[in-house]
Amino acid sequence: MAVDVATQAPPAVPRRPTPNAWGRRLLTAAVLGWFALLILVPTLALVRGAFSGGLAPFWQALSSPDALRAFRLTIGITLVATALNTVFGLAFAVVLVRHRFWGKTLADGLVDLPFAVSPIIAGLMLVILYGPQGWIGRWLESAGVRVVYAWPGMALATAFVTLPFVVREVVPVLREFGVEQEEVSYTLGAGRWTTFWRVTLPSVRWGLAYGVTLTVARSLGEFGALLVVSGNILGRTQTATLYVHDGIESFNTEGAYAASVLLAGVSFVLLIGMETLRKRVEARERPE
Amino acid sequence: MAVAEPKGRSLVRGASRPAGGLLLRSASLSYLGVMVLLPLVALGYESTLPGTAAFLKALSDPFARHALWLTFVTAAAMVVINAVTGTATAWVLVRYPFPGKGFVNALIDLPFAVPTVVTGLMLVALYGPTSVLGAFLDRNGWGIIYQKPGIILALLFVTYPFVVRSVQPVLLEMDRAEEEAAVTLGASPFTVFRRITLPTLWPAILTGTALSFSRALGEFGSVVMVAGNRPLETKTGPMYIFGEIESGNRHGAMVVSVVLLACSLGVLVVLNRLQRRGGEPGHGR
Amino acid sequence: MTRGGRSWGGAGLLAALVLYALPGCAPGFGAGTAGSTDTLTIGAYSVVREAFHEAILPAFAKHWKATTGRSVRFEESYAASGAQSRAIASGFDADVAVLSLEGDVSRLVKAGLVKKSWKDGPHKGMITRSLVVVGVREGNPKHVRGWDDLARPDVSVLYPDPKTSGGARWNINAIYGAGLLKDKPTGGKPDKQAGRDLLARVQTRVVNMDASGRQSMATFERGTGDAVVTYENELLLQRKMTGKEAPYVVPPATLLIEGPAAVVDASVARHGNRELAEAFLAFLRTEEAQRILASYGFRPLDPKLDPPGRDPLPPRLFTMADLGGWTKVNAEVYDPGGVWDSLFTDRPKAAGRGR
Repeated sequence: MAVDVATQAPPAVPRRPTPNAWGRRLLTAAVLGWFALLILVPTLALVRGAFSGGLAPFWQALSSPDALRAFRLTIGITLVATALNTVFGLAFAVVLVRHRFWGKTLADGLVDLPFAVSPIIAGLMLVILYGPQGWIGRWLESAGVRVVYAWPGMALATAFVTLPFVVREVVPVLREFGVEQEEVSYTLGAGRWTTFWRVTLPSVRWGLAYGVTLTVARSLGEFGALLVVSGNILGRTQTATLYVHDGIESFNTEGAYAASVLLAGVSFVLLIGMETLRKRVEARERPE
Repeated sequence: MAVAEPKGRSLVRGASRPAGGLLLRSASLSYLGVMVLLPLVALGYESTLPGTAAFLKALSDPFARHALWLTFVTAAAMVVINAVTGTATAWVLVRYPFPGKGFVNALIDLPFAVPTVVTGLMLVALYGPTSVLGAFLDRNGWGIIYQKPGIILALLFVTYPFVVRSVQPVLLEMDRAEEEAAVTLGASPFTVFRRITLPTLWPAILTGTALSFSRALGEFGSVVMVAGNRPLETKTGPMYIFGEIESGNRHGAMVVSVVLLACSLGVLVVLNRLQRRGGEPGHGR
Repeated sequence: MTRGGRSWGGAGLLAALVLYALPGCAPGFGAGTAGSTDTLTIGAYSVVREAFHEAILPAFAKHWKATTGRSVRFEESYAASGAQSRAIASGFDADVAVLSLEGDVSRLVKAGLVKKSWKDGPHKGMITRSLVVVGVREGNPKHVRGWDDLARPDVSVLYPDPKTSGGARWNINAIYGAGLLKDKPTGGKPDKQAGRDLLARVQTRVVNMDASGRQSMATFERGTGDAVVTYENELLLQRKMTGKEAPYVVPPATLLIEGPAAVVDASVARHGNRELAEAFLAFLRTEEAQRILASYGFRPLDPKLDPPGRDPLPPRLFTMADLGGWTKVNAEVYDPGGVWDSLFTDRPKAAGRGR
C-alpha cells in the first residue's frame, strides 16, 4: 500500500553529532542514484521519446483511428474487469472475514493464485478452456459465441489477472473494523443491505478505492495474456498495449511511445490521485 | 496475507449469519471457482493427459530445463539485489530528510503503472547497444541488454516497489525506544540496525522478496524485449512457453507452465504459513 | 454537500466512459454480408501489412465496387506468420490466409480449414516472390558480401526466432541451403554437414532473436546489430516508409521466397463470402495488384513486371524445391532434435572440434 511519509513523528532523541551524517548522506545518495538509474531515467527517456517531435505529432499519433479504437477497447475491457472484480472482491472479502466454512483456506489461497501466474500461462489456460476446441469453448462455439480471439476472452483474461486486488485490499480493513458497528446497526433494526451500504462499505472505502485503482492500473497495462488470447485483430481485438507492441513492430515508434506514455500516465495519475485524495479526506476527518 | 478468524464476539447471536449469507458465499465461491480453479484444473489435466512419462520427457528437454534454470537464477539474483536496495530505499524514505522526498515517494509506485511492454522498450532504448552507455558496456564485455543482466534489470524494474512498500509501513510504525536505548548504551548505528531493527523488519523484507520472486518467475512483457531470446542462453521460462505455444508444442508449454506455477504457488504458500506462524496479521499486501 | 457532489460527478464520468467504450466492445463476430456491405476477414503475416492496409485493400475495394456494385469492409490481422497460422487453426475466422510460407498454409490444410486444391493453378498458390538478403548499415562498414561474412567475430547479426516466426525459416533455410548446395556449381551433392556448419557459425553471431521478421527489422533500425537477415521486400519497404537508405546485400547463393495465399474454406462457408474471398485472391494475381506489391518491395510473379533498378537475381539462386521441399527441410531442420536444436545442444562439442 502506498505510504505517506510526510506525517512521520519527529525523532524523540536529539540527533547524533556529525560522524553519522556522512554515512547517512552516502546511503541517501546511493538510494537516490539507484532510483534514478532504474526508474527515473527510463521514464524520463520514454516521455522525451514520446514528445521528441513536439506536442502536435504526439496528439496526431494518438488520434489515429487504430489508436483510438485500441484505447476504446482497453477502456471497455478495463471497465468490465474492474466491475466484475469489485463486486466479487467486496462479496468475497465479507465472506472471508465474516463467515466460517469448509475449504476456507483453499479459497483464500486460490484468490492469491493470479499473482503467481505468468500472464502467458494465464492466456494458455484460457485458450485451453475457452478456445474453439476447449473444454467450455466447444459448447460456446456451437452456440455461436466466440470467446478467444474476441473481446470476451480478453475481458476474461484481464479479470483473471486483476482478481486478487480488491479482495486483498479490503480484507485487512474489514478485519480491523470488526463486527460491533454492524451488530449495533442490526439491533437498531436495519436490514442486511442497509447495514452493508451504510456501515460496512464506508468503513472499507479506502481499501476498496485502493484495490479498484490497482485493478484499473493493472488492467490498462495487461499484455502477456492478451497476446495469447486476442489474435491482435486491428480495430477489433487490439488493445492499447497490443497497439504499442504493434507500433514497435511496424516502424511506428512514435505511436508506440505516445500510447505508452498515455497508458503509464493515466495509471500513475490514478494511483497518485487516490493517495492525495485519501490524505486530504483523512486530514479533514482527523479531528473526529 | 493470511486471513485470521473474525475479531470480537458476536453480540447478537445469529444476526450476523443471515440466510442470505449462503447466497453470497455460493455466488462468490462460484466466481472464484470458474475464474481460478477451473483454469488451474484444466492446465493440470491437459498437461498430464498424455501420461507421466510424456510429462517427464517434456521436462527433460534441454531447452525446457535451461529455460527453467534461467528463470530461477535471474529471479534469485534479482531478489537478493532487491532485498538490499528495497530495504535501503524504505530506510532512507522513512528516516532521512532530503529535498523532493514526497516526489520520490510517489514515484516508487511507477512500475505498477507502466505496462510491461513499455518497460522493455525503455530499457532497450536507454541501456541497449544503441545508447552511449550501452555501447560502452558492450564493448568492454559488460553488456546488459540482450544478455542475462538485461533480464535481471527488467525484473528489478517491475518488482521495485514490492520490498519498499512492504518495509515502509513497518518502519513507520516501529517503536524506536529500543534503538534509542542501544544508542545511548554506545552501540554503533550498524550494530543497532543489525541487532535491533533488522529482526523487526525481517518478516516484511521476506514478504516483499517472496512477492517479487513470485512475480519474477512469470514476468514476460518486459523480459521478452530485453533478453535476446537465444535458446540455451537467454530464453526464460515464460519466453520458452510462448515460443512453444506459437510453434505448436502446446504440451511442452503446459508442462513448463505447471512447473513454474507450482513454484510460484509454493512461494506464496510458504509465505502464508510463515506469516501465520509469526502472528503477523495479514497486511494489505 | 461536496462529498455528495463529487460522487455524482464520479458516477457521471463512469457512465460516460461506459457509453464510450461499449460500442467498441460490440461483438463483431459472424462477419459476412450486411446490407450492401460485404466483410472480408484477412489473416496475414506482418510483412504484407503496409502493402495491404495502404494500397491493396483500397484497390480491391474499388475493383469490387466496380465489378459488383457492393462495398467491402475489411477486418485485418497482422502477426508473425506462424502465430497467425496457429491462430487460424485454433479458430480465428479469417476468410483469406496470406502467410509467409507454404508450411503455414499446410497446417491449415491438415486442420481441414483449407482445401488441398489451393496449390493448383499456374502460380501454385503463390502471390509474391522475394529474396533472402542481408541488410547492412550505410556504406556497409563491415564489408558484408555473403553468408560467410556473417560468421565473422566482428559482425553482430539479427534475425527472428523460427519458433514464433515461420518467416524466420526462410532466413535459416537460405543460410542452411547456401551451405548445403555449396558444391552444386561443381556438380557435387548436397552437403548436410556444410549446411549445418555454416548455420552454426552464423548463429553464434546472433545478438537477439525477435518474435517476427518485422520486429527484427525494427530492432535493426533502432541501431542494434551490423547485419539483419531479412527479405528484400522488407528493406525496400523500409526505404519507402522511412525515406532512409536501408542498404542491403544479395548474397551470391540465396533462397527465392515464394509467398502463398489461400481461401479458408471453413470461414467463408460460415460467413457466406466465398465469392468475395476468391475474387480477392484472383485480384492479388492481376497486373494491377502485382505492380502495387512490386512498389512495396516484392518481386512480382512475372519477372517482366519487375520495377527498374531492382538488383538482378543472384547467380546461385535456389528454391525450396532444390532443398528437397518444405516437408523434408522441416523434418530435417526444425523438428525436435533436428539441425536447429542441435545448434544449441551440440555447441560444446562443436567448440571442441575447433570450429
